[in-house]
Amino acid sequence: MKHKIRLTINDELYEVSVEPYKTLIDIIRDDIGLIGTKKGCGTGDCGSCTIILDGKPVNSCLILGVEVDGSNILTIEGLRKGEELHPIQKAFIEHGAIQCGYCTPGMIISAKALLDNFPNPTEGQVKMALSGNLCRCTGYKKIIEAIMNVGSQ
Amino acid sequence: MVLKDPKIVIEMKGIGDQYSFIGKRVPKIDSIYMATGEAKYLDDIKLPGMLYAKVLRSPHPHAKILNIDTNKAMKYPGVKAVITAEDTTKVKFCHLPVTPNKMVLADEKVRFIGDEVAAVAAIDEVTAEEVLDLIEVEYEILPAVFDPEKAMESGAPKIYEDCENNIASTFVREFGDIGKGFNEADLIFEDRFTCPPVVSCTIEPHGCIASFDISNRLTVWTTTQNPYNIQRALAGVLKIPVNNIRIVNAYVGGAFGNKSVILPLEPIAAFLAKKTNRPVKLVNNRQEEFISTRTRYSMIIYLKTGVKKDGFLTSREAKVITNNGAYNNKATGITLLTCNRIGNLYRVPNVRTKAFIVYTNNQYGDALRGWGGPQAHFAVESQMDIIAEALNMDPLELRLKNANQSGDTTPWGWKISSCGLTECLKEVARISKWDHKRKQSGPKGIGMASVIHTGGGSMGTHGGGNYSEVFMKLNSDGTVNVVTGDSDIGQGSDTILTQIVAEELGISMDNIKITSRDTDVTPVTMGTWGSRVTFIGGNAAKSAASEMKRKLFEVAAEMLEVEPHNLEAKGGLIYVKGEPDKYLSISEVAYSSIVKKGETITSKVTYSPKNTSPPDPKTGYGNYCPTYSFGVHVAEVEVDEETGKIMVTNIFAAHDVGRAINPLLIEGQIEGGIAMGIGYALLEKLQWESGKTLNPNFCTYKIINSTEIPKIQTLLIETIDPDGPFGAKGVGEPATIPTAPAVANAIYNAIRVRVKDLPITPDKILKALKEKQKGELIGKK
Repeated sequence: MKHKIRLTINDELYEVSVEPYKTLIDIIRDDIGLIGTKKGCGTGDCGSCTIILDGKPVNSCLILGVEVDGSNILTIEGLRKGEELHPIQKAFIEHGAIQCGYCTPGMIISAKALLDNFPNPTEGQVKMALSGNLCRCTGYKKIIEAIMNVGSQ
Repeated sequence: MVLKDPKIVIEMKGIGDQYSFIGKRVPKIDSIYMATGEAKYLDDIKLPGMLYAKVLRSPHPHAKILNIDTNKAMKYPGVKAVITAEDTTKVKFCHLPVTPNKMVLADEKVRFIGDEVAAVAAIDEVTAEEVLDLIEVEYEILPAVFDPEKAMESGAPKIYEDCENNIASTFVREFGDIGKGFNEADLIFEDRFTCPPVVSCTIEPHGCIASFDISNRLTVWTTTQNPYNIQRALAGVLKIPVNNIRIVNAYVGGAFGNKSVILPLEPIAAFLAKKTNRPVKLVNNRQEEFISTRTRYSMIIYLKTGVKKDGFLTSREAKVITNNGAYNNKATGITLLTCNRIGNLYRVPNVRTKAFIVYTNNQYGDALRGWGGPQAHFAVESQMDIIAEALNMDPLELRLKNANQSGDTTPWGWKISSCGLTECLKEVARISKWDHKRKQSGPKGIGMASVIHTGGGSMGTHGGGNYSEVFMKLNSDGTVNVVTGDSDIGQGSDTILTQIVAEELGISMDNIKITSRDTDVTPVTMGTWGSRVTFIGGNAAKSAASEMKRKLFEVAAEMLEVEPHNLEAKGGLIYVKGEPDKYLSISEVAYSSIVKKGETITSKVTYSPKNTSPPDPKTGYGNYCPTYSFGVHVAEVEVDEETGKIMVTNIFAAHDVGRAINPLLIEGQIEGGIAMGIGYALLEKLQWESGKTLNPNFCTYKIINSTEIPKIQTLLIETIDPDGPFGAKGVGEPATIPTAPAVANAIYNAIRVRVKDLPITPDKILKALKEKQKGELIGKK
């Protein structure tokens, strides 16, 4: 049996009917159609599916849609304002923090959650904030530099 | 929707200041799509009526298939098709031209846990997954063998009836006179090194969508770095003509050599699509990524080296045993390159390598960032430090004495056109404060390792030649379309090729649109592997741009009433040399040619290096690569002797990149290569027990994360290769290769413990420390 849930995603309200076993990542990607959030493992280990749920970064593959009825969600699509990129997005591009780009949405969202709480993070805080986001291409260095650069501005 | 370009700061401190685009830190041109979530990867594509597939895999490492009953599964609601080998062509495939023995779905036998047995297409993924349990397969379990050395023993279980001792292939490559070489040596060293099976761990899993149209034309969207390999192989397996197959790859979420040839995924999706008349998507889950995708070949390397007291190498002999796994793929080519890296790193006058490629009941292997290089270098560079210590010589000095030099032809026939190995060694020692830090005592240590690698692909190891083609089209407003068959898989080749065309044609990068990754549109090329696209694809792009410029100059010369050779192009304008006021814009010339005269301007160039020769079939002699890349990594570590835990604190990396076309992207390659190399050194290994992978997830198979990345300092050495585009050569794979041996050497420097078996995990450190203490006690008695 399907359950009707309401989600506010990137400031827009959505009402969807979902199976009780359906994970938030699948709802965001399949039902809402926001495919910027990626699925890398489905077991909460890689962080590609990171979203901000009621202010906190979470792995959306580990959450059932029916658990979070009424919640507020930010995905990668919600960061830019029209044509203007978010400073974290700009910094990732300028610092060469993106290679294949598959982990990038999750990385940027984790960075956003960190900077919302700690606008001037230490390098240690940045590394800890990204410790649940795996990247196989960049070696993390330029990602850390990009976030530190946003923090220092 | 057009996104406003971010204000990208291009630092002008790039190395090639005589150039407008070469040597500049240009951000990747497609990164805006990735930063915004706009980039569409395979799993983001949904077609109308699309079905979802799942694969039933063998739970046994070696068994006969007695019967498969799909009746219950077929009746399950939502299931549209269930296929077994009987529904396929039963064509056996293999990438290299050796004995093909892998089938899309196994018919008589399964040979590893994860071998594909049957597949289902259903209305959704959940249904497809559930129904796998309803397919009933009756197996007769056969004895299995997992260790390649045991598999070679007489009496070992036979994986193929017609294959004696499970040896899939074997070869000897000998140059010079090793007997004489060892006679001349003052000291001889013999060691055994082992390298583990590791997987690519691309964050995007392998996957594809197959769809037939009404006239039986097949389109496959897939996660590949080489669309033409997939197209050719699929045509063979499906028995349909090549031009009836269109391969499109969306953005590729990491590949590292591991997405260059077909997996059974693409043909399974195609057979299901054919049977159901609907598009079929098949994407691996993460567990399948670990148990069924192909590993970097695990190898055992017996290495024997002779050396004079003054440090000059006289002879090297190696026996390389490659764990081929259950099926053939690339092991002959990769093991050949392992052997010739053993023969070609440093000046070794006499070399003999013997290779055994051995079947086991494990998942099979493939390329993974380095084509046999990581394995060869771990052995050679670990042993170089063993030699240096015995000679009481600084490892840096030993390497400098034996370093390859520009102009060398190695005994193997490699012609080294440009070589910055000596500069890399000296400079990386300088920036790492090598002399000072070598004198410090544990638990801190410092170690180094070098790399020699193909800097532009290689011949004969990948089944044939080495070529790329670029097609260019000028539009009436002066903008340009560039079409390449080489794939950008995140390394940034689209950006590099755009920079090259912009520089050569004298137009801005914004006026160039590059298209890749679609076999209906792009020219035939060999794709992305072997650190080849900058060199081979870059040369094709440079020549195509040059040809377009020649044609533009012909039109402009007529308009300006001068001779074409008196013209030059820069900043979107065509000038008369020496007369800065006399010019036309490229858009004016283009408009005049195309719209007014009806003469379109295009160019097409195929680049294939002239200075290479494929391996001689009998001896293996040849200059396989148009250029060779060199590099040196210095690692600093801290070892906790109580727990055995190793922390890499610093990596200094110097690379001979020919010319740094884009330092920002090269640094990215090197930093990512280092991260993967540290994983190989300390963490990564598929834990196989009786053929079963015990760690098929990121929780138990660790790759390094953001908290474990050390400080990295990169140095780019420009040797300006005579044949490279603007002097450039490839760096993608060399970036990862020297890391593991540098870390191993640093560990030895810290605690005098030599681990010859990767990965160097805390338990191995503690065991070795215990043995060392025992040895010291015996020594005291």
